[in-house]
Amino acid sequence: MFESLAASAAEVLTIQTMALMMVGVAAGLLAGAIPGFTIAMAVVLTLPFTFSMPAPQGLATMIAVQVGGLSGGLMAGILTGIPGTPSSVATTFDGFPMARGGRPGLALGLGVWSSFFGGTISAILLVSLAPQLARIGLEFQPWDYFMLVMFALTITASLSGKHLIKGLIAGAIGLLVRTVGEDEAAGVARFNFGNDSLLQGFDFIAVLIGLFAFSQLLSDVRDPVAARKSMTQRTTLQARIEHVAALKELFRHWVVVIRSALIGVFTGILPGAGGSVANILAYDQAKKNSKQPEKFGTGTSEGIIAPESSNNAVEGGALITLMALGIPGDVTAAVMLGALLIHDVVPSPSFIRDEPVIAYAIFISFFIANFMMLFLQTFMLRVFVQITQVPMYVVACVILGFCGIGVFALNNVTFDLWTLFWFGILGFVMRNLGFPLAPMILGVVLGNIAELNLSRALAISTDITPFFTRPWALFFLIAALFSCVFPLYQARVGKERWTLLYMPLVCVAISIPLFLMAIQNASVPRGIIGGIAVAAAVYLVWQRWRSGWALASPTD
Amino acid sequence: MGHINRDALIAITLLVITGTFFWASFEIREPDYGQLSPAAWPRMILAVLGILSFLMLVQAIKQTPPAVDAPPVDAESTSFVSTLASWRNPIFCFVAFLGFLLALPYLGMLVGGVLFVFVLLTLLGGVSPRLLLVHALVATGSIGAMWSLFTFGLRVILPTGSLFDGRI
Repeated sequence: MFESLAASAAEVLTIQTMALMMVGVAAGLLAGAIPGFTIAMAVVLTLPFTFSMPAPQGLATMIAVQVGGLSGGLMAGILTGIPGTPSSVATTFDGFPMARGGRPGLALGLGVWSSFFGGTISAILLVSLAPQLARIGLEFQPWDYFMLVMFALTITASLSGKHLIKGLIAGAIGLLVRTVGEDEAAGVARFNFGNDSLLQGFDFIAVLIGLFAFSQLLSDVRDPVAARKSMTQRTTLQARIEHVAALKELFRHWVVVIRSALIGVFTGILPGAGGSVANILAYDQAKKNSKQPEKFGTGTSEGIIAPESSNNAVEGGALITLMALGIPGDVTAAVMLGALLIHDVVPSPSFIRDEPVIAYAIFISFFIANFMMLFLQTFMLRVFVQITQVPMYVVACVILGFCGIGVFALNNVTFDLWTLFWFGILGFVMRNLGFPLAPMILGVVLGNIAELNLSRALAISTDITPFFTRPWALFFLIAALFSCVFPLYQARVGKERWTLLYMPLVCVAISIPLFLMAIQNASVPRGIIGGIAVAAAVYLVWQRWRSGWALASPTD
Repeated sequence: MGHINRDALIAITLLVITGTFFWASFEIREPDYGQLSPAAWPRMILAVLGILSFLMLVQAIKQTPPAVDAPPVDAESTSFVSTLASWRNPIFCFVAFLGFLLALPYLGMLVGGVLFVFVLLTLLGGVSPRLLLVHALVATGSIGAMWSLFTFGLRVILPTGSLFDGRI
């Protein structure tokens, strides 16, 4: 372990890598701060620059952009009231009132330091949990992997929008896109319609850039009047970060920091649920547990600490799933997966064991990027103020130009530019028709993994019952089914009686594969977890029975 | 009988696409080896996509149509013009990018890229002598810097274009 750590440190702690990470954090901070630009877009656009770099260096740069992006959203949210990214929506609830109330420096300080502590807690959990989860992942067989991919797609679809069917359709379209070109196992052409360029399939990075960056830029300039205006009309945004006062306040609310960071990490582990979910969840929990919940929304410290600690912690969680199981937790992790594949590294449960230098490089750079973010935030605040004076259309046009050069550089093939163009149109149309893009992107990324594991499973045995009887496969199948019902549950909770049984049923259903694992592997801990799940179900039913099956309000 | 709304049209389009791909899946060659036919996985996806599209269609038809008053006589043409106007900028972006792609073999990445950004900036930002100068500077500076970074920094060979072959 120490040899790998030393080798990784030697790769990451070079002047060149540090300089690239600094640029990455700065770029991420700006991308996150500009309303309309997303972190995923910044990370996707960074990818072409990292091709010629060694894998640890390229990944360190991308992680730097990601960490910067997660923290950048707070600047716009606090100073202008417009969240820079969906991950910082809740930050504006109290950040903007505090800044408007005359304490912008304290609000920024709370945001910056909460981001730092959230990111650091998440990094510690990443280092400690990823190898443990990878050990569990080694138990997975092709049947389990196939079901895990299905679960990742259904939960992403259920969490990413109001319409589950549209989300599932988007996921299926993503899977279908990945089937175009030569089949990996047999080398047989599929859906190329006589076009030789399609034999290679669509380059999935070009697809991602088209779907995410290209279509987002078009949405940003759709309103001709707004596109010509500066991103903020405030010309005198000035603030000095109050570090000492913020730290004092933060230590007073250390419980909020830790709880929110844990919410962030576990939301990140869940495929599909990213920072946009975590920051609202953490804010909600902070409000419920506060002694003065009525002060939320008026500029309270806890209202800034909670969302900022959680949204920075999300990425550690998403990286845990990516590094341990090879399944990206969110869109940015999907791009990281793409970066690893470009360097011929296939994340799987044996990834940390087989590629320790790259794995530890990811750990180290995640830690360092958080310190860099802290250092750079003060300087980037000034740059942010300047950048916000530039009209949106200028930024969008320049980035569209960058997209063109970056995508061509992927494989030096003009066909990739056509891929970017067509998928840009598709992404834009889908956005406007209410289809969430996250499931489609996961479908594109996970399509090959699903097919490969299905093929392997059927090569081992033509019997399909293991897809439903193997404990892990059953676990993911149950989780997938309940995740499909989740949007319905969310819409009807507090209104219909059947929702009272949803959570107890989840607990009972999940306990079945856990007991199966306990029996098959003689694993006592899993039996205990299964027992806890059943006990929780019984307790919930008893609680509901005692209250006469009364419908509670959704916030209870 | 229900009514046809936007979601119903989308669902019908999806069903047509699914059918086309399903039909195309019979063109996939069946090798003599392997347990999983190369057409099996795409057909599974298409089956799911077909079912979901059908469910979407049913859901869309079941939706209660919003109660609207009868539109005035010229409302249709007005709404069409305003709809087109609201899509103006994205259409400009698509057309400009298409032009860039078609011109790429002749103009190359540097000249083509600068022209693309300049034209798009002007289409979206408006025309005035000052703006034209700003747009030209932004286009040249940004694409020039990016082209230099890829060409000299990352050693990527970007297309030079047949008009400037060997010179840029």
